[in-house]
Amino acid sequence: MKTSKILPFVLLAPALIMIVFAQLYPALYTFYLSAQEMDAGVQKFVGMENFRRVFDSSAFVESAWNTVIFIAGYILLTMLLGMGLALLLNRKLKFSGFYLAMLFIPWVLSDVIVGLVWKLFVDPDTGLFSPILELPFFGLEGAALLTKVPTDRLFDSIPFPPAPALIYLIIASVWKALPFVTLLMLAALQTVPKEVLESAQMDGANSRQSFLGITFPMILPSLIVALFNLVLGGMNGVGMVFSLTGGGPGTSTEVLSYLLYSIGFAQFDFGKAAALSVFIAMINLALILLALRVSRQGAEQYA
Amino acid sequence: MNRRRIQILPNIAMILICMVMLFPVFATTVISFKQQSDVARKPPLLFPCDTPSSDFVPSACRFFVEGYERIFAFKENPETWFGYEATGAIVSKYMPNSLIYAVFSSLFITLFAGLAGFSFSRFAFKGRRILQVGILALTGIPLLTNLLALYQTTVMLRKALVPSIERFAAWQQFSDITTKMLIDSLDRVILIAIYTGLLMPFSIWIVKSFFDAIPRDLEEAAVIDGCSPFGALMRIVAPLAAPGLLAAFLLSFVNIWNEFLTNYLLVGSSKQNLRSVMVAVYDLTGNNLINYQVLAAACVLVMMPVIILFLATRKVFFSAMVEGAVKG
Repeated sequence: MKTSKILPFVLLAPALIMIVFAQLYPALYTFYLSAQEMDAGVQKFVGMENFRRVFDSSAFVESAWNTVIFIAGYILLTMLLGMGLALLLNRKLKFSGFYLAMLFIPWVLSDVIVGLVWKLFVDPDTGLFSPILELPFFGLEGAALLTKVPTDRLFDSIPFPPAPALIYLIIASVWKALPFVTLLMLAALQTVPKEVLESAQMDGANSRQSFLGITFPMILPSLIVALFNLVLGGMNGVGMVFSLTGGGPGTSTEVLSYLLYSIGFAQFDFGKAAALSVFIAMINLALILLALRVSRQGAEQYA
Repeated sequence: MNRRRIQILPNIAMILICMVMLFPVFATTVISFKQQSDVARKPPLLFPCDTPSSDFVPSACRFFVEGYERIFAFKENPETWFGYEATGAIVSKYMPNSLIYAVFSSLFITLFAGLAGFSFSRFAFKGRRILQVGILALTGIPLLTNLLALYQTTVMLRKALVPSIERFAAWQQFSDITTKMLIDSLDRVILIAIYTGLLMPFSIWIVKSFFDAIPRDLEEAAVIDGCSPFGALMRIVAPLAAPGLLAAFLLSFVNIWNEFLTNYLLVGSSKQNLRSVMVAVYDLTGNNLINYQVLAAACVLVMMPVIILFLATRKVFFSAMVEGAVKG
C-alpha cells in the first residue's frame, strides 16, 4: 500500500488525544506534583522532600513488606494452580469448553463486588465460613479472621507470618485471577505440536521428561506474560483491598496501592501521594521493559 | 477399561474444581433468596432448609424474594406498561448510569482504537515503534496516579465550564431543572472521556493484534482495483476485523460496568445522582440497617449482566484475552 505521510497520524489522532487527556497528562502532572508542596494554598517547589517523607515513614516500610508478601503468595498460588488446571483442560476432555466457561466467570466480576461477597462469607456472626473458621485448627477464636492481628513476628521489622486477613485477601485475589492465567497457559499448551511430543514418547521420554524438555520451554514466553500481568495487577489493584479489608486490621493488609489511596484521598496529601505513585510507576515500568525484553529473547531462542 | 478411567478421573476433578470456583457466586445467589431469620441464623447454613430436628429437609426449603423487593421497591404506576415501576435507586438510577457510561465509552473506544489499531498495523511511519512502546508503558501507571491528577483536572474543568453553562441557561431562561441537567451532562461527558482514555491503550493493543492477523494482500488487491486506502479499510478490513472490534467493545463494556475507583473518587458526594452502580452497592455496606439478603440481591443484580454477556460471547472474550496478552 502507498504510504501516506499524514494518514497514519490522522487515524491515530482521536485515540492519542484521549490517551493524552486521561493518562499522559495526568501522569506528567503527578510527576510534577511529586516535587511540589501545598503550603497555605500556595504550591512551592520542594525537590525530593516528598520522596524523603514517603521513604522515611514506617507506614511505607510496612506496606512495602505487605506488598511483597501479598504478591509472592498471589503469584505462586495462581501460577501453580493455573498450570495444573491448564494441564487438566488440555487433555481434550469432552466438556473442556464448558469447564473453561464456568471457570472463567470469576474473572468477569467486579473486584469490589468480589471483595464484598468474600467479606460476607467470613462475618463472625452470620458468615457461611465462620463455623469452619472456629475450628481449633485455624486458631481464630470467634471466627475473627478479618480482625485478628498476629502478635509475634519472626523478624522485628517484617510482618511475617502475615495476618489471617492478608492470607484471605490472597486467596480471594487468586480466585479472581486464576481463570485468566489458566486461559493463557491453555492457549500456550495448545500451540505445542502433538508430533513433537509423540516422537519424544517414541524415543522413550516419560511424561515428566517431555514436559520439562519440550512443553515447558515452548510455553515459557506465555508463562512470563502471565507472570508480569499478575505482578502489575497485584501492584496496582486496590478495589478488593478496599471492599474486603479496608487495609485493616491495623495496617496488616495495607499494600502500597492502598497506602497511596489513603495518603492521597483520605489525608489529601497530594505531594506525598504523587511521590509514592511515581515510585510505584517506576517499578511497574521497569517490570514492563523487562517483560518486553525477556519475551523477545524467549521468542528468539525458541522460534 | 484403563482408558475409560483416565477419562473419568479428570472429568470428576474438573467438575469439583468448577463447583469450588463457582461457589461464591452460587452461595451469594442462595443468600439473596433467604428471609431475614434464615440469614441471621446461628450457626449459619447454606440452604434455608433446616427443621428443628434436621439440618436439611428438601420439603422445608423456604425461599423469599424480599431482598429483591427491597432493591427494586416496586410501586404501582398505571402509566408503565406492566402497571408497576421500580423505584429503588439502584435499579432506577444507578444501573442506568453505569449502562450509559459503559455503552458510550465502549463505543468511542471501539471506534478510536479501531482506527489507531489499523494505523499501527498497516502503516510504517516514523515514530511508530516509540508510540507503541509508549502506549504500552502507560498501562504500567497505577490508576490511582492518574486519578490524583484527574481529580484536580475535573475540578478545574467544572470551574471553567459551569459558569458559562449557567450564563447560557440564564440567557435562554431555562428552568433550574434543565440547568441542573445540563451541568450533569457535562459531568457525564467528562467521566465518559476519562473512561475512554483510561481503557484506550489496552483496546488498541487488542484491535491491533486482530488486524495483524488479517493478510495484507486482500487490501492491496482492493487498492490496485481502484479502492482508496480508507475504502479498503471500510469494505475489506473492517468486516474481517469485526471480531476484534467486538472484543474491544465487550471488554471495555465489562471493565467500565465493573469500574469502581474512578467513579468513587471523581463523583463527589454532592453529585450522588451521577454514581455508578458499583459505588451505590459499595455504599450499601456503610448503611448499618441493610440486611445481608438485600446486599446479596444487589450483588447478584450487578453480577448477572456481565456473567450473561460473557457466557453469550465467550469465544470472543477468550480470543481477545489470548491475542491481547500474548502478542502484546
